[in-house]
Amino acid sequence: MNKSLMRYLLFSVSLIFCCSCASDYRYMKAIETNTACSSKLSPKLFTTSWYHASVDVVGRHISGLLLIKNMPDSSYRVVFTNEAGVTFFDFGFAGKETFKVYNIISQLNKKPVVQTLRKDFELILGLPFRKGPYQAYALNDEIFFGVRQKKETAYFITNKDCASLRRLELGSARKRKVVVQLNGQQYPTPDKIELVHNTFKMQINLTRFEKDDSAE
Amino acid sequence: MPKRVKILFSLILVALICATDVTAQYNGYKPIADLDAFKKKFAVESAKVMSITSDFTQEKTLMALTEKITSSGKFWFKRNNRVRIEYIKPFAYLMIMSGDKMLVRDNDKENKINVKSNKLFQQVNRIMIDCVQGTILDSKDFTSKVFEDDKVYLLEMTPASKSLREFFQTILLTVDKSDYSVKSIEMNEPAGDKAIISFKNKRLNEQVADAVFAL
Repeated sequence: MNKSLMRYLLFSVSLIFCCSCASDYRYMKAIETNTACSSKLSPKLFTTSWYHASVDVVGRHISGLLLIKNMPDSSYRVVFTNEAGVTFFDFGFAGKETFKVYNIISQLNKKPVVQTLRKDFELILGLPFRKGPYQAYALNDEIFFGVRQKKETAYFITNKDCASLRRLELGSARKRKVVVQLNGQQYPTPDKIELVHNTFKMQINLTRFEKDDSAE
Repeated sequence: MPKRVKILFSLILVALICATDVTAQYNGYKPIADLDAFKKKFAVESAKVMSITSDFTQEKTLMALTEKITSSGKFWFKRNNRVRIEYIKPFAYLMIMSGDKMLVRDNDKENKINVKSNKLFQQVNRIMIDCVQGTILDSKDFTSKVFEDDKVYLLEMTPASKSLREFFQTILLTVDKSDYSVKSIEMNEPAGDKAIISFKNKRLNEQVADAVFAL
């Protein structure tokens, strides 16, 4: 193998390595926080809703019904059942730090599974954004409002003119780990929610439906 | 799809095949006088059912949250071992079981499952056949008690195995005295939640095309 080819290969490998290590948030610039915008668009409240839910994890697919219930004390209950009505899990969220498993089938009752679901639903419910302070950043044509978590940062992302909420993200200092896309009607009653993990193959899709009490 | 979830789906199939409409705490019911006679009659009458076409409604109650969700759809059964359950409102969801094969369609996602793929699935399949053949009361998967009022029999089925007890505290079936067909099923979960599936516009032994169960 001649020297120029070796150099080319080394350059290519280095380039690929550098690209794969490049921070997703590298070009984000801290800016002054527009509190009017952050208070207008932060996803702090979720009204009681029923969703048709599908969860895809490393090639496996589960679907069912998901209830997000806003309780009188401002806590939330998130209950996932299969279509025929058998409960998979029932979680309680009372703020960022208080989490309770009311019910879960043994197959899902593994610490990594519960912790992953907990963090996913905390983000969907907007719990990290209940209290500030928000640090604002500009990146491309978007504004990122970040709230520091233990090892990560939760962001809600708006367009530059603060017209609408675009998505939510959970990321480490360098890596975008979880992205929540919202379609249709937004908070406090989002129509469609798509949560995607970037660090492993997992996706949650929620599509809101109105209860049909005339079905009887 | 996780095996346990597949088993759950199958249990629901069993439940739907056996299904009923149950009143809480068995008010108005009395224990059946002659259990052996009932078992024989149930088996004989069930054997006459070659097909079932029915509408159903399903009401899931989350007790602690005082929330209810009602769904509805259509149900078909054709001897032997062919079942189609189609949820129509408020969401679309389809399950077809044909022999050892099963299809689940959720929106655009379709899963085909081989029932023979594990022992638990085979167990569930056996329960289903016991239900259809009217021999569920002899099943080792449940301990059963039978009650009656003037219109229906009430079968209280308590799971014998730990794996079934995780999902169900009891399954209550009501069986119509007029034709020994299942009217409804109530699945009671250990945490207190319940799902009741009730059959309406039930038609027995009508012609049902094989295409209904095409996988």
